Amino acid sequence: MLLDFDKLGALRGVLIGITVAVCLFLILPIVFIAALSFGSSQWLIFPPPSWTFRWYHDLFADPRWFYAALTSLKIAAIVTVLSVVIGFLTALGLNRGRFPGRDALRALFLTPMILPVVVLAVALYALFLKLGLAGTTFAFVVAHLLIALPFSIISIGNALEGFDKSIEDAAILCGASPWEARLRVTVPAISHGIFAAAVFSFLASWDEVVLAIFMASPTLQTLPVKIWTTLRQDLTPVIAAASTLLIAFTILLMILAALVRKGPKT
Amino acid sequence: MALWATAGATGNGKRDGSLGYLVPALLLVVIFFIIPVLMLLLRSVLEPEPGLQNYATLLGSTTYLRIFLNTFIVAAVVTILSVSIGYPVAWLLAIMPEKWSRLVLAIIILSMWTNLLARTYAWMVLLQRTGVINKTLMGLGLIDAPLPLVNNLVGVTIGMTYIMLPFVILPLMGVIRAIDPGILRAAALCGAGRLQCFLRVLLPLSLPGVAAGALMVFVMSLGYFVTPALLGGTSNMMLAELVAQFVQSLVNWGMGGAAALVLLVVTLALYAVQLRYFNPNAAR
Repeated sequence: MLLDFDKLGALRGVLIGITVAVCLFLILPIVFIAALSFGSSQWLIFPPPSWTFRWYHDLFADPRWFYAALTSLKIAAIVTVLSVVIGFLTALGLNRGRFPGRDALRALFLTPMILPVVVLAVALYALFLKLGLAGTTFAFVVAHLLIALPFSIISIGNALEGFDKSIEDAAILCGASPWEARLRVTVPAISHGIFAAAVFSFLASWDEVVLAIFMASPTLQTLPVKIWTTLRQDLTPVIAAASTLLIAFTILLMILAALVRKGPKT
Repeated sequence: MALWATAGATGNGKRDGSLGYLVPALLLVVIFFIIPVLMLLLRSVLEPEPGLQNYATLLGSTTYLRIFLNTFIVAAVVTILSVSIGYPVAWLLAIMPEKWSRLVLAIIILSMWTNLLARTYAWMVLLQRTGVINKTLMGLGLIDAPLPLVNNLVGVTIGMTYIMLPFVILPLMGVIRAIDPGILRAAALCGAGRLQCFLRVLLPLSLPGVAAGALMVFVMSLGYFVTPALLGGTSNMMLAELVAQFVQSLVNWGMGGAAALVLLVVTLALYAVQLRYFNPNAAR
C-alpha cells in the first residue's frame, strides 16, 4: 500500500507537498541569484528596482576574473587528463589483478575523497612550503588530482566490471598486442565510464575551493579562490553574475552528460 | 582461465603485470597524501617542543571545547533535518511516475552540481538582515524586526542542510525502490493500519539507507569548511575552520596538526562504524 503511488490516499498529498517544497527550496536560491545578477541594486534588493547588464560588464571589464577563469580551466584540463589516464590504469590493475591486499589498496586510493578536505589542504600546504612549490600550478594540479582520481577509479572501475574481458582476449588471439587490444577494443567499449570520469574529474577541480585557497598565491588564483576572496570583502552583485555564468555552465554540462548517456551505449 | 593466463603473461611480470598499473596512483597517494598527512600529525607532537602540550591546550580550553561542541551540534542538527526532510522526498521519488521523478531528480542534481560558493553566496544574500526572507516575514507581519539568520549557527545549519539534502535523498531513494511493494500490501492485507505499516514494515526495511545516509551527512558536516566560514561569521567557528585558522592566520603548525588529528580520528572512527555495520558490499 505505502509503496503504491495510486493507493496512497491522503498521504500522497502530504508527500507531494513536501517534495514540491523541497524542490522549491533547492531551486529557488539558484533562480534568485540568476535574477539578482540582472538587477540594478548594488545592495541586492529583491525584486530589483530595474534591470541591467552592469554586473556582467564589470565582471568582464576586470581582467583578474578572466585570468582566474583561465587558470581554473587550465588546471581542470590538466587534472582531467591525468585523472582519466591514471584512473584507467589503476582501475585496470584493480579489476584484472589477482594479488593480496587489493581491496585495501582500492580503499587507500579512495580515501582522499572521504577525508575532511581541510586536513589534506593543510598537510599539502606544509609540504609544498617545504619544497618551495607553494603557489605553483604543479601544487594545484597535484592537490586536485588527489580528489579527482577517486571519481575516475570508481567510474572506470564500474564500467570495466560490466565489460566482458573475453572480447579483449579475442582481439589478442586475433593478433593484436595487449595494449592495442585495450586501446582499440576495451576503451571504446567503456567510453561511457571514461566520459563520466572526465566530467567528474573536471568538476572536482573546477569547483574546488578549500584546497585551492591553500594552494593559491596572489598571482595564481582559480575562479573559486577569486570568488572566495571577493565574498570575504562584500556581497557585490558581480559575484551573482559570476555565479550565474557558472550555473549556466553546469546546466550545459548536465545536458551534455544526459545526451552522452542516451547515446549508443545503454 | 587459459585466456586470462595468455593475456596476463604479456604484461611485465608473469603473475602480476597488473600490479604495475597501480604504480602511478600509488606514488601519488603515498608522496602527496600519506606522507604529508603523517608529517602534519607529527608536527602536533613536535612543535613548538616535543610533547603533548598542544593536545592539552586544545582539550583543556573552553574556547576550543566550545568549537568542538558547535561542530557536533551543527552536524547533528543538519543530519536530523536532512534525514527527516529527505525521507518523504526519497519515498515519493521511489514510487512516483517516471516522468515526474525525472523532473525532481533533475532539480536535485542541478542543485548538487551548482558551484558550492554560488550556493553559499545565494544563502548569504537571502538570509541577510535586509534579505528576501526577513523582508517577506516582516511584510506578512510575522516579525517586527529582522531575525538574525546569518553570521550565526542558524545560517550555517540552513546552508548546510541545503547542501546535504541530495546526499540523503539519492541513496535513500535507491533503498526504498529496492523494497518489494508486495510486502507492504501483505502487511495491509493482514490488517496493519497505515501507521503500523510505516513504523513496522517500511521504516525498518529502509533503515539501512537512513543510517548510511545519516552517517555520511554527519561525517561530511563535521569536516565542512566553506559554508560555516561564510555563513557562520567569525565568532561561531567550527572545527575545520579552526584547523585552517591555526595554520593560516596564527601560523601555529603544532596546534593546527593537533586539531587536524582530532578531526581525522573522529572521521575515520565514524567511517569504521559505517564499514562495519552498513557496508554496501556486504548488503549486496
